[in-house]
Amino acid sequence: MSTISIESVTKRFPNGFEALKGISTDIAAGSFTVILGPSGAGKSTLLRLLNGLETPSDGSVTIDGETLEKATLRKMRSSVAMVFQQFNLVERLSVVTNVLTGRLAHRSWVGSVFYLFRNEDMDIAQETLARVGLTDKAWSRVDKLSGGQQQRVGIARALAQRPKVILADEPVASLDPVASEEIMGLLREICDRDGITVVVNLHQVDLARRFADRIIGMNSGKIVFDGSPKHMTQSVMRTIYQREDIEDDNSLDLALAYA
Amino acid sequence: MNETTKTQSAAALPPRPRNLFPVWLAAILAVLWLIVRDLEISFETLAYGVADMGEYFSRYGQPDFSNLSRYLELMGVTLATALWGTVFALVVAFFLAPLAVRNLAPHPLTYRMAREMLNFMRAMPDLLLALIFVTALGLGPLPGALALGLHTAGFLGKFFAESLERVDHGVVEAVRATGATNTQVVMYAGWPSILREALGFTLYILDRNVRMASVLGLVGAGGIGLALHDTLRLFDYRQSAALIIVILATILIIDYASAWLRRRLG
Repeated sequence: MSTISIESVTKRFPNGFEALKGISTDIAAGSFTVILGPSGAGKSTLLRLLNGLETPSDGSVTIDGETLEKATLRKMRSSVAMVFQQFNLVERLSVVTNVLTGRLAHRSWVGSVFYLFRNEDMDIAQETLARVGLTDKAWSRVDKLSGGQQQRVGIARALAQRPKVILADEPVASLDPVASEEIMGLLREICDRDGITVVVNLHQVDLARRFADRIIGMNSGKIVFDGSPKHMTQSVMRTIYQREDIEDDNSLDLALAYA
Repeated sequence: MNETTKTQSAAALPPRPRNLFPVWLAAILAVLWLIVRDLEISFETLAYGVADMGEYFSRYGQPDFSNLSRYLELMGVTLATALWGTVFALVVAFFLAPLAVRNLAPHPLTYRMAREMLNFMRAMPDLLLALIFVTALGLGPLPGALALGLHTAGFLGKFFAESLERVDHGVVEAVRATGATNTQVVMYAGWPSILREALGFTLYILDRNVRMASVLGLVGAGGIGLALHDTLRLFDYRQSAALIIVILATILIIDYASAWLRRRLG
C-alpha cells in the first residue's frame, strides 16, 4: 500500500503558467524520496500540493487512502508535516513554543489561543528537541540560533506533529555544507527509525544520490526520471537539467562534470 | 588611450528613465500659491501681529501654583481617562485587526467589513463622540474614555492590520501547514511577529490620548481640560499658565517613559 498517491495532477496558476502538466506517481510508505530538478521545474508546487498549500487544477492527491480536499484539509495537514527552505519559524518565540506549534492541530482553540499546552504536549516537545539535539536551547529565542540550528527546530516542529509524512522543500538550500549534511542525515534517520515517509526537494545532485531510496527527476512540470540513485547516469541528468531554449548547453556539461 | 577605446566599445546604456520630480515639485508649489491667493492669507498680518502676540503671551508669565494639589488630581483623572480609552482601543483593535488582514481574514466579506468599521471609527472625531457620549451618559470621565477608545481603536486597528499584513508570508504558511486553525495562525504567527511594532503603536496612541483627554474636558468629559476651560474664560492667566505647565510636564514624562519602555522591550 502506498502512502501518497498522485493522480494526473495539473496545476495552472492564475497568470496562466502551467507548473505541473499531468503528474502521476505513488510514493511508498516509509520511503525516502528526493525530487530533483532545475529551478522552476515544479518541485515546490508538487510538494505544496501534498500538504494542501496549493490545490490541483486537475487530478487528485490521496494520502493513506484519503483524498485531499477542503473538508479534510486540516486533519490531513496534521499528519503531513512540512519543513521549509527559509525555516519559517516564528522568530520572536522561544524554541519550545515553535516546536509546540506542531501540536496546534491536535488541540482545541481555547487553551492553545492562550499559549497553554498540556503536559503531554510538553513531553512531546521535550522528546523531539532531544531528538534534534537542541535540548539546551529550549528557551532561547529562535532568531538567536544559527541557520542549521533553526532548521533543526523546523524539523522538531514537524516531528511534534507526529506525522506520517514529512515534506521538506529545499531544506538545505540556505545552509552551509556541514549543516546540510547534518540536516539530511537527520531526515534520513527519522525515515529509518520512525518509518515516516520523507519527500525532499533538492537541487544538490550529490546529496540526492547519497540519501535517497528513490529519485524523481522533474523538468518543466513533468516527471522525466524515476528510479533508484544508481540509475542516475550522466544522460539522465542531462534530461533533468536541460533547458528548452538552449541547444548546446556548455554550462550544463560543466555543472554535471562536478556533480 | 587603451582605456578610451575600451569605454567606446562597451555597449551604450539604455536611455535614462524620465525623472518627473521637477514637474511634481512645480505643480505642488503652484497649488500652494493658488491656495494662499484664494484664501487671502496675508503674511503681513502675521508680521504686524507678532508684537501683539508677545504682549498676550506675557500675561502667562507668572504661573500660580497655589492650587497644585487640585491640578494634579485633575491631571490624574485625565490620565485615567486616556489610559482607559487606550485599553478599550487595544481590546477592540485586538479582535478587529486580524479580520482586516487579507490573508488572515476567514472570508473576503469579513475583511471588507472589518476594514470599513475601522475606517468609520477613525473618521468619527473624538470630540464629536465625546459630545454624544456626554449627552447620553452625563458629565464625567467615562464618556471621555469611550470616545477616545472608539476613535483610536480605528487607528490602532489599522496600524495592527498593516503590520500583520507584512508578516513574512512563509511563517504564516508554516503555522497553517501544521493544520492550525485561523485563530491559531493569528495567535502564533501573527501577533508574536509584530509584538514590538504593536507596543510602539499602543504607546503612541496612549501619548496621543493623554493630549486629547486634556482637551476633552472642554466638552464636559472631566479632567484637567474642564479646569483650563474655566480659568481661561475667567481670564485667569496665572492659573491657566500653571495648568498648561502641568499638562506639558505630564506629556514630557509620558514621552520619556514610553521611549524607555520601548528600549527595554526591544
